[in-house]
Amino acid sequence: MSRIIERVRQALGVQAGDGRDKLVFAKSDDFVHCADVKVTAQERDGWMESIRTEAQALNLQVHECPDLDACGEAIASLARERDPEWGTAKQIMRWNDPILDGLGLETRLGADIAVKSVPKADSFSQSERQEFRREIIASYIGITTADYLLADTASLVLLGGRGRARSVSLVPSIHIAVVPRSRMLASYRQMLSLLSAMDLPSNVSIITGPSKTADIEATLVHGAHGPREMHLFVVAS
Amino acid sequence: MLKQDPLQYRELAAKAVQDKQLHKALAKMRDKVGRNAENLYNQLPTGAGSRQAAKDVRRKIVDNLDVVLETLAANIRARGGHVHLAETGEDAVEYCLSVAKRHQVTRVVKGKSMLSEEIHLNDALEAAGIETVETDLGEYIVQLKGEAPSHIIAPAIHFTREQVGELFAEKLGEPYTDDPPTLTAMARKALREKMLGANMGISGGNTACAETGHVTIVSNEGNIRMATTMPRVHVVLLGIEKIAATLEDHNILLRMLTRAAAGQKISTYVSYVGGPRLPEEPDGPEEFHLVLVDNGRSRILADPDFREVLHCVRCGGCLNVCPVYMAIGGHSYGSPYCGPIGAVFTPLTQGINTCHHLCQGETLCGACKQVCPVDNDLPRMLSLLRFKLANGDRSWNVRPHSLPTKLVFGAWSVLMRHRRMYDAMRLLAGFCQRFLPRKNGWIRRLPGPLGGWTRGRDFPPLAKKSFAQGWARRDTTRRDA
Repeated sequence: MSRIIERVRQALGVQAGDGRDKLVFAKSDDFVHCADVKVTAQERDGWMESIRTEAQALNLQVHECPDLDACGEAIASLARERDPEWGTAKQIMRWNDPILDGLGLETRLGADIAVKSVPKADSFSQSERQEFRREIIASYIGITTADYLLADTASLVLLGGRGRARSVSLVPSIHIAVVPRSRMLASYRQMLSLLSAMDLPSNVSIITGPSKTADIEATLVHGAHGPREMHLFVVAS
Repeated sequence: MLKQDPLQYRELAAKAVQDKQLHKALAKMRDKVGRNAENLYNQLPTGAGSRQAAKDVRRKIVDNLDVVLETLAANIRARGGHVHLAETGEDAVEYCLSVAKRHQVTRVVKGKSMLSEEIHLNDALEAAGIETVETDLGEYIVQLKGEAPSHIIAPAIHFTREQVGELFAEKLGEPYTDDPPTLTAMARKALREKMLGANMGISGGNTACAETGHVTIVSNEGNIRMATTMPRVHVVLLGIEKIAATLEDHNILLRMLTRAAAGQKISTYVSYVGGPRLPEEPDGPEEFHLVLVDNGRSRILADPDFREVLHCVRCGGCLNVCPVYMAIGGHSYGSPYCGPIGAVFTPLTQGINTCHHLCQGETLCGACKQVCPVDNDLPRMLSLLRFKLANGDRSWNVRPHSLPTKLVFGAWSVLMRHRRMYDAMRLLAGFCQRFLPRKNGWIRRLPGPLGGWTRGRDFPPLAKKSFAQGWARRDTTRRDA
């Protein structure tokens, strides 16, 4: 390990501990404060417009809902309409998050479609992890929230952690994200600035539309290895 | 297949030059991505200065690589990940094998990694009895066919949809179709099983963030997220130079990368992964290994003339505008790194003499520099490699490539500096050229060792009256004021 670092130092003709780290890890003031700005309602409308435009090219379907109740109803009817891609049983896996609790999907879908949420615990045994793996593979819809919604690219930013399994936005064929309007940010840069100020989890996923590929004759096809369909529900309150 | 051999280069290039299908496919990349790139760069807030801004960040990182590497390693370890610095490709391969053996791995799923091609990892894994499956659609097609990738970003660009249909019919037992969405769905099904049933995922990385302790991987297909989330063990292979220091660095670097590589503002997935799953997470890998590979890079770092090539972010953008790559395709280069970047990087890591044909094959037209998101001066470095080949260079163990060529050009140089000698030679050549075979006024064949010039093209004869003669006899009385 240290031998290669030593060789790199020799190649660069530099010494260890000569204070270059200050320069290398310095942040510009502009970057640090770029997310501090106060946002007007008009600006938010503009961001929403930008998200709608970007989403079109991405094959990302955007729905705007006045509240969680309306959102829950819309998701329930979507779930009834769609058929599973793998197998026949309909099961939904969702993040264990207060916003998603508010959708009331468990009562809305009742016995027709099982709605499960990611277990919350301080640790998971091997068998508990295996069990969760089976459940996520058996789910045709995965529902998450997002920590940020980026206006310039219509991207979702998902931080990992308790009750927020990473496979929920990945393994099911349909990914649904429910995001409060207040979580919109102007740009990728603002998001990086906010992340820069926190202790990050071991996994952060930034997701922009359903999976796609252009590997056969450079022809764009949606639905590669991740979700083939994606819905973004933006909730006003 | 992937080897450095000037004869093979010439042979494959000659074949590719005739391949209309290949040219059609590459022209798509040129029109969709190559010609669009500059426009997309300029749309960033940094405007026309975007390439320079990205360059400045890359230069800062590479010039302080020791500090960035140490911080990255420390922060990944603090997250519970393992970090291994591999001096050579063999060392990196051995490390991957030892991790695989410790976990009794039977199947590895791979995310696209040029570095793994560079160190021949797949062969080693297969030799150890481990099933190794490429999961990027293009890489998967190429692997099923038993070929090497022909483009850094679009590995199977040389395949037609009909060829993919036939391949899938043969290897996957699916009914023949040439419809890309149906073909993609077939691969989706076949690879889902592979990815969910693998015990180890190996991916490359597009960059890393030293201050937070994450590796950053971009993808559109979701295969990389699958390969890095579902198996028990995740190993990342990363060149020592490909890392970044801060999240602020990532702003310009990632935005330039996706624009240059695929004409996208952002790719579908940008994943930051650092360390294994946390105890409170029910999924994610149990073990995380970051293998940082030197394999000749620190030697490049030590030469200020070539250090710049380490700024490269492996976007493949230079391929999409290169007239030589467009004509001869990726396979001719005999290296995972093809096109202009390969013509500089491969000689520096595999030997300048061994790879002389690569830098001599490029045109120095400058298109690669113009499109490069980090403004790498590849034409300058190509010229410098040629200079070293002509004159030899001890520090890079280069011996003069061809003594006769050196002598001829030495003589030419003397001739050009001595007026009388030049005139005499011109008269002589003008007399001798009468005996050479002609067609439409052009010389068809030059004699002796010069014959190489006319093997593929005709040569213009010397003019009856030279420019100097015409100039001396010009009518000076009618000169305009």
